[in-house]
Amino acid sequence: MNKELEHSFVTQLEENQNIVHKICRLYTNDADAHNDLFQEITIQLWKAFPKFRGDSKFSTWMYRVGLNTAITLYRKSKRRVETHDFESVSFKITADEYDDTVELQLRLMYDAVKQLNDIDKALVFLYLEDKNYREIADTLGISEVNARVKMNRIKEKLRTILNP
Amino acid sequence: MDQLELLKQNWKQREQEYPKLSYDQIYDMLFRKSTSIVKWIFIISVLELLFWVGLYFISPKSSFEVIEKLGMKPFMLAFNVVHYIIVLIFIYYFYKNYVSIKVTESTKTLMERILSTRKTVRYFVIYNVVAFAIALVVINYFYFTKSDLLMQALEESYGIIPNDPQFLTIFLISQIVVGVILILLLLLFYRLVYGILLRKLKKNYKELERIEM
Repeated sequence: MNKELEHSFVTQLEENQNIVHKICRLYTNDADAHNDLFQEITIQLWKAFPKFRGDSKFSTWMYRVGLNTAITLYRKSKRRVETHDFESVSFKITADEYDDTVELQLRLMYDAVKQLNDIDKALVFLYLEDKNYREIADTLGISEVNARVKMNRIKEKLRTILNP
Repeated sequence: MDQLELLKQNWKQREQEYPKLSYDQIYDMLFRKSTSIVKWIFIISVLELLFWVGLYFISPKSSFEVIEKLGMKPFMLAFNVVHYIIVLIFIYYFYKNYVSIKVTESTKTLMERILSTRKTVRYFVIYNVVAFAIALVVINYFYFTKSDLLMQALEESYGIIPNDPQFLTIFLISQIVVGVILILLLLLFYRLVYGILLRKLKKNYKELERIEM
């Protein structure tokens, strides 16, 4: 692989790394697993990069590869003990402008999203990233109508998780 | 869903909370090894292909002698020719499916490609087990109908002089027992390896299919 390609890839990934971190945080429960998944997504992105033609935005292309890696290709390493500490530490109150109730609601909602299955999480993630249903449907390989129906069902599911 | 909308509004502002990796840290990652299931499936599949192809080569020479002496050579030759043509067809399809696995496809297509690559190897193994069973039956039929020749061949090739009248029965039963044990081990291997490797993928694939129903 030539240096130019490496440089172009790393620069773009560095700029857009938040997308990968968001996926990692949603699909893993501790720092080690987060780093593991980040690593795997990076490798998959890099392997696919020579075929990336730039007809879509780099970030758009990242969603697909990132989610596919998290949902399909990534295997959790068994020896790791799962903890939830990482999550609670990192998604904590950061700014004073939020009052406690808002912060609590955000926390509860995020925790509820984390309880969803892999596919539902992907839908919610793309929804939170402000993707339209066409894009969500394309990424997952389902029809737009079904993506919409599914999203409504997930909202119901989240409601049940929050108010059992 | 008010809370989900609330989370959506806050989603962007949360971005500074995520870790920030440096250029060098990301650069280093390019040269690490992937641990994806596709890689494992590929390794295991190639091992399986090699195992079944290699089985022929590790069979002891003397067993071919026995087969030859019993006049089974034409049968074995025809069997082998057909067998290797089928093996090549399988390898072709396996390779074709494998290279079609692309992480840039939609999630559903990606899963389908992985599952179909797996299926090719599974059919390959089923084919081998069936071929193995057929060969076992045919060979034992020859043994049974030409037991005099078998005794003679065994004596010449292995130096076994069977004088027990029950020898032939024991010989045949032990062949069948070994055959059945091999097949059971294989099925166990399948349940363990693929059960673990593909459990998550299959679960997620079903979930995606359910959306489309």
